[in-house]
Amino acid sequence: MAGAKHSQAMFFQARAGEKIRNKVLQKALQKAKPLFVGKRAKAMAALPEDGFEFEALRSACVDIRNRVLGDLDVWLELFEEKAKATGAEVLWARDGDEICDLVIDVARRHGVTKATKSKSMLSEEAHLNEALAAAGIRPVETDLGEYIIQLAGETPSHIIAPAVHKTIEEVEALFAEEHGRPLETRTSADIPAMTREAREVLRQHFLSADMGITGANFLIAETGSAALVTNEGNGRMVTTLPRVHVVVTGIEKIVPTLDDFATLMRLLPRSATGQTISNYVSLLTGTKQAGDSDGPEKTVFILVDNGRANLLGSAYQEMLRCIRCGACMNHCPVYFSLGGHAYGWVYPGPMGSVLTPLYTGIENALDLPHASTGCNQCGTVCPVRIPLPGLMHRLREEQVERGLRPLGESFALKAWAWLAGKPRLYRWVVRRASRYLNWLADDSGRIRILGMAPGWTAGRDLSVPAGKTFHEQYAARKRA
Amino acid sequence: MRLALYVTCLVDLIRPSVGMASLRLLEAAGCEVIVPESQTCCGQPAWSAGNRPLAAELAKKAISELEGYDYVVIPSGSCTDQVRNVYPQLLADDPVWAPRAQQLAARTFELTTFLADVLKVELPLADFAGSVTYHDSCKGLRGLGIKRQPRELLLKVRGLTLDEMADCEECCGFGGAFSVKFGDISTQIVDRKCESIAKVGADAVVGGDLGCLINIEGRLRRRGDETTRVLHIAEVLAGEES
Repeated sequence: MAGAKHSQAMFFQARAGEKIRNKVLQKALQKAKPLFVGKRAKAMAALPEDGFEFEALRSACVDIRNRVLGDLDVWLELFEEKAKATGAEVLWARDGDEICDLVIDVARRHGVTKATKSKSMLSEEAHLNEALAAAGIRPVETDLGEYIIQLAGETPSHIIAPAVHKTIEEVEALFAEEHGRPLETRTSADIPAMTREAREVLRQHFLSADMGITGANFLIAETGSAALVTNEGNGRMVTTLPRVHVVVTGIEKIVPTLDDFATLMRLLPRSATGQTISNYVSLLTGTKQAGDSDGPEKTVFILVDNGRANLLGSAYQEMLRCIRCGACMNHCPVYFSLGGHAYGWVYPGPMGSVLTPLYTGIENALDLPHASTGCNQCGTVCPVRIPLPGLMHRLREEQVERGLRPLGESFALKAWAWLAGKPRLYRWVVRRASRYLNWLADDSGRIRILGMAPGWTAGRDLSVPAGKTFHEQYAARKRA
Repeated sequence: MRLALYVTCLVDLIRPSVGMASLRLLEAAGCEVIVPESQTCCGQPAWSAGNRPLAAELAKKAISELEGYDYVVIPSGSCTDQVRNVYPQLLADDPVWAPRAQQLAARTFELTTFLADVLKVELPLADFAGSVTYHDSCKGLRGLGIKRQPRELLLKVRGLTLDEMADCEECCGFGGAFSVKFGDISTQIVDRKCESIAKVGADAVVGGDLGCLINIEGRLRRRGDETTRVLHIAEVLAGEES
């Protein structure tokens, strides 16, 4: 699969260990988690005051997304027709390489040497920045978080808070170097000043860029518009100042009507950042017309498959409902133990544990569907009710069906299941195991190193009972 | 009322007192309790590993040995979730087993749900001198909606005070094979749970799932906490055997 060449998902275990030992990262993550969780919880608790009910809104959002996915080809054709009528060009890309080729081609046709960008996870799927730079076009990320990680030469570790893994000290070091000034000691009180510094640099880029590249939170079929949901205002700069605007987005992002968009907007910002609405919501429709004070002369939509169409009609279709709010990762105990980079590809957290194997090959991301405690905190908060643990479970089943699990694991599981099917023998083995654990335990009844589960005892003791198994005790009680 | 007590494989081996306490509680409530002797494991490890055929085999075995009773009671949210929520979908395409799975699912209850919502009788509960904090296990909470029941029961225990910890609904990091496969991630997660427990400073942390409890206990002890007791709710409600 196309995405596989960039994926590091097979190294999840090793990367996870690295992230756990990274004290700076851990500090950043522990600071962020209560903010995400707390803000969403507050927004959801306030829904009734705003006249809404979470489950009812959720059902409405699920229905909208399901309606689109049921006839995706029809909605895409309608979108294409409407977008073309507004003067936009509509192009189609099968994979990341095609995205890069198309964007570079548009850039060359319009003499573009610099492109400003608003956050786009799809451009991460395509590694678009690298391709642009190689073609002599300078990409400048203008979302503050994206700007930070571009300076650091990294990839986003979160879909809406790309630099959440960075501490203020790390950002200060990057800014001091990039902006050519001495390093200072910064606290959170200095964030406005640091932001202003970035704004001043970015302002020059906004004014001098020939092309703006954005994603789209939604594509509105009835109007041929792209909807952008942002908080920093950079999206507006990127879409109105340059001569050319290129929208790169997935084919699943369609919604039928503006009304549907409004419904989804009730839950998207609330789920993502706990806002009732984001600071900016832009509906971008077509090119600059006579009388318009701003807007691009050329608008190009690049609608991308990159594995999405394969999910239609499959056991994983529900994943395409995703509206990219990030609530699943914000509530994931595994995500907040590691940050996003451990997952090895574009999307981290529970959504990544489903999307990475599906978009880059199940055999190229074997650990991800297992890297979940099954707690279902993600499924509980998902605004479009994607059964994330269920989809991860289905991926585990597919690994078994395709013989992709380690032989030792398959054998142990079969041996154990065989034993569990033989109650008398099972009883005998459990009695022996009980005695064995007892023999292993120290004076306080604890095992500190257990050879057959070293992963367990590396971090914790195992307390074992001094007595007999339950079934022995029960048998003795019946006899008495 | 004849009911089957399914103690779970973990209780059988690691903490038999949970099974004995459940037995005493149910008997004291006036139930005729039978422990089907052929019971082994509900098959959850096979299901979690993605091995449908093995999970289905063990599901059929459990259905056969548990279906002849008025109720089946299990002192574990996750094993109950397996019977109530997984068995019916696991066997949904089997014309013989699907209805049997559904019937068993409807009659199977997690211990605190059974005591608080089905039985609803005054239980002769043991006393408990001290404060406890309750950890909501994921499968029980999000799979079965168990939240109020254990607290209702605990508040009836004389001498017991309930101090809720922050993030009591947050996963402890156990996740069955997860804690063995990804031991270091699991440790990272259970550390946060231990910090919440330490902060609330209760005498005991109580839960309804042995898997979570041995995970929490194991980490608390390794961190040097030798005093916070880690108890299954059945042990608190039934008290020490006299």
